[in-house]
Amino acid sequence: MDQLTKEAIRYLGYGRNAVDEQTLALIADAFDILQSVAGRKSIYRIFCLEHMDGDKIRFGNLEVESKSLAKNMKGCDRIVIFGATLGIGVDQIIRRTSLTDMAKAVVLQACAAAFLEKYCDECQEQIARELREEGRYLRPRFSPGYGDFSIEYQGSITRMLDCAKTIGLTITDSSMMTPTKSVTAVIGASTSKENCHRQGCEACAKKDCIYRRDTL
Amino acid sequence: MILEDLGKKLLFFDGGMGTLLQAKGLKPGELPETWNLNHAEEIIGIHQAYMEVGSHIVLTNTFGANALKFKDDTYPLKDVVNAAVSHVKTASERAGKKVYTALDIGPTGKLLKPMGDLEFEDAYEAFREVMVYGEQAGADLIHIETMSDTYEIKAAVLAAKENTNLPVFVTAIFDERKKLLTGADVAVFVSMLEGLRVDALGINCGLGPVQMKPVLEELFRYSSLPIIVKPNAGLPKQRGNETYYDVEPAEFAQTMREIADMGAAVIGGCCGTTPEHIRSMIQVCEGVKAVPMQKKKDTIVCSYGKAVVFGNGSKIIGERINPTGKKKFKQALKDHDMDYILKEGIMQEEKGAHILDVNVGLPDIDEKEMMMEAITGLQGVTSLPLQIDTVDTAAMEAALRIYNGKPMVNSVSGKQESMDAVFPLIQKYGGVVVGLTLDENGIPETADGRVEIAEKIIVEAAKYGIEKKDLVIDVLAMTISSEPKGAMITLEALKKVRYGLGVHTILGVSNISFGLPMRPIINANFYTMAMYSGLSCGIVNPASEEMMKSYDAYHALMNFDTNCERYIGNYSGRQTKQPAGQTAGKGLMTLQTAIEKGVKEEARLITQELVQTQQPLDIINTQLIPALDYVGKGFEKGTVFLPQLLMSAEAAKTAFAVLKESMTGEESSEDNKEKVVLATVKGDIHDIGKNIVKVLLENYSFDVIDLGKDVPPELIVKRVKEQNVKLVGLSALMTTTVVSMEETIRLLRKEAPDCKVMVGGAVLNQDYADMIGADFYGKDAMQSVYYAQNLLIH
Repeated sequence: MDQLTKEAIRYLGYGRNAVDEQTLALIADAFDILQSVAGRKSIYRIFCLEHMDGDKIRFGNLEVESKSLAKNMKGCDRIVIFGATLGIGVDQIIRRTSLTDMAKAVVLQACAAAFLEKYCDECQEQIARELREEGRYLRPRFSPGYGDFSIEYQGSITRMLDCAKTIGLTITDSSMMTPTKSVTAVIGASTSKENCHRQGCEACAKKDCIYRRDTL
Repeated sequence: MILEDLGKKLLFFDGGMGTLLQAKGLKPGELPETWNLNHAEEIIGIHQAYMEVGSHIVLTNTFGANALKFKDDTYPLKDVVNAAVSHVKTASERAGKKVYTALDIGPTGKLLKPMGDLEFEDAYEAFREVMVYGEQAGADLIHIETMSDTYEIKAAVLAAKENTNLPVFVTAIFDERKKLLTGADVAVFVSMLEGLRVDALGINCGLGPVQMKPVLEELFRYSSLPIIVKPNAGLPKQRGNETYYDVEPAEFAQTMREIADMGAAVIGGCCGTTPEHIRSMIQVCEGVKAVPMQKKKDTIVCSYGKAVVFGNGSKIIGERINPTGKKKFKQALKDHDMDYILKEGIMQEEKGAHILDVNVGLPDIDEKEMMMEAITGLQGVTSLPLQIDTVDTAAMEAALRIYNGKPMVNSVSGKQESMDAVFPLIQKYGGVVVGLTLDENGIPETADGRVEIAEKIIVEAAKYGIEKKDLVIDVLAMTISSEPKGAMITLEALKKVRYGLGVHTILGVSNISFGLPMRPIINANFYTMAMYSGLSCGIVNPASEEMMKSYDAYHALMNFDTNCERYIGNYSGRQTKQPAGQTAGKGLMTLQTAIEKGVKEEARLITQELVQTQQPLDIINTQLIPALDYVGKGFEKGTVFLPQLLMSAEAAKTAFAVLKESMTGEESSEDNKEKVVLATVKGDIHDIGKNIVKVLLENYSFDVIDLGKDVPPELIVKRVKEQNVKLVGLSALMTTTVVSMEETIRLLRKEAPDCKVMVGGAVLNQDYADMIGADFYGKDAMQSVYYAQNLLIH
């Protein structure tokens, strides 16, 4: 079973349980649909990173106070600001499918999440290659909403990247991303190659979450 | 006036502003328009530099100047816009050059509904305000640019047209697939903007000049209007901390010369271009003669994402969204059951419709409101172009205004009164309008009589600037049961209009057989004859196999179906194949098993078999309910997972639908079902969780009133009171929207104290639910079902 399918199954809440044939068929079908409708656009910029007193960091003209982010960025002198989206086509197909077949809609939703993560991983590898040339190594990406890194920073990140114009990613008044299958994140870069553990979803305090990666 | 020069001589725009300001110290995320007030000299200096190298049109620094970005009064918007216009004028004096001042209008930075949360009319208002300030301050034209969404463009163009007298230019960002971010291709973009009567259109930003050329070729293919081209200085690249563009002025100028030679009317630069780029461009391009645009004759209707170009065979307009003679549809309209209407739309698209007719007129409903709801809803789930079908001109105008694309409009007639009412709307909003060949004296009995009315309609339309390509003539089909020559007259008139007048044609095909038995036989054969006589589009039922057979055969026979691909795709292997799963019902599987396994088609066939011998209620009690219980318990125990739970639910739904058909009036009555209102709260746009709960509640025979997502508390309370509902389910995904959940509960407590509230969603837990005063927290969808059962049934 490929990694994408495994991730989709995790998002569907199966945990370690076996998956039935019918669901697997729905998953395969969903990835086919996504291949043709998903837009895949991304953008990033690199800034110098300043560590301030307490749990504050500063980049561009933005100051962020967050204990978990400051910890994630420890030892970094650059920060990559990153935005990515699968575009509105995916939202449209999920909305449409919700009317005709809810099982398929739920599977599409999970597959789109897996698809998006994989796309972000690919983008990140590309950025990592570029930064390695100047002797820097990337940390795991960290998104607003992880730990105490406030979700409101989605707005600041999308403004700094001009995401509405460049990739079509916008933020609603209640800090939600549209298209919904989108990511904003920051990625630290340091000159020392640390063997840092993958810290995305694992940084969350909700230890009993059924989607949690490190317990699966 | 710029319109006197436009298209007659090659006009030069200026180049980039944002990238120059960044070089002067503008921070990422800082609003560049604030510089109009606190860095005036820098702004004037940039304008002046462009004027000195020869730009004819200079953009004000107002790209992001709108109330959605300037939320408070730190920088009053009016001052920002006034200063911006005056800086261009000052620069013009200093440079000693006369230029056109173009009020620059960029996107709001928000996505409009239904994809995002910005209301169409709020976008309109944001644009209106700036445009009015701009005209008052002395701008010569409005330049709407860097757009990614046709709907936002429409809001901006209407704001400009309705509130100013300035010429309107529009350019958008196309990507390398030749599409906007929201899916529009060049044909969509052009047909929609020509319909809105802008003065020039084109492409800017996103790409460099070389990458723009394929998009330009298509613009020249479709546009009758002058074309604007403003590329970036190549594609953005990253070097260390900075973004840069690497097409140098000489190279930029050379490609712009090629673009000018292709026939562009207005050229300039966008991100990364500097006065040096523009200087080189003007040096290389000066003297290039303007080429007048050729008038294009294609009849095009479109949605936001799909254009249908007439010709090359006949187009299918789905007729099913229409209450005439349909009891269920009428009930759905009365109940505001939008899902029913949307499903009819999706079904017709899947059956092969190219365009969907939308008629929601009923004597006792507010047609205007219903039409707007249906149009918005349909555009959320299908990208097929729509045909607005109404005799109510208020509903027609409302629909034309909110429609995202260039619609078909059904209809205008040869009556003066009708033409006086409908043509001004088409002139303003754009559209392809159906002209019925009847007038004050009724429907002429001869083909020539109908052709004469068609001619009258064409002449009258021309007075409004509506060209022949935007008319489709309906020569009307009269039933042969009372008009023996009805079909022959119609066919003759079709030929004369299509080939004599050179106008496209349309028919409501099935009228021909009214009053006869086995109508599909007559309809399908008449359909073939009509297509052969020049029917450009037929309003038919795409779910009718006979009609689709006629359609497919005609297109294969007339060589419109290349290599018979469509025909073979639809029919190969049909003879040998048994109608799907005919053996499935023969006792291989019980209904209970079919539902537990979640196999829809089997569930349907087995149920069809069972109703021959058993009572519907017995089937429900002995098979359906045990199956649902089994799956529900499995879900709770963690042996059945969400997709399986839902597949079973869908299979049960199919079985219920079969049973309902066979039930007598009293048994199937919806009246005694318990009602539950479901909504995703205001500000929240995620509704998958709510939709899961809905499917399950419906399975357990609740009547779910689904209010959708982003629902204001007031609307929820209103529906609860109207229908005397005793249970509301609310969903919220994020901490930011739990606030509106709390507000909704507070309002419900006050206005409808008897109503219980259950809540669910990713961010919630029991403590949170208690804190905001909910009666019940549903950890998952089944918990909500059990709660509803305990509360309302047991």
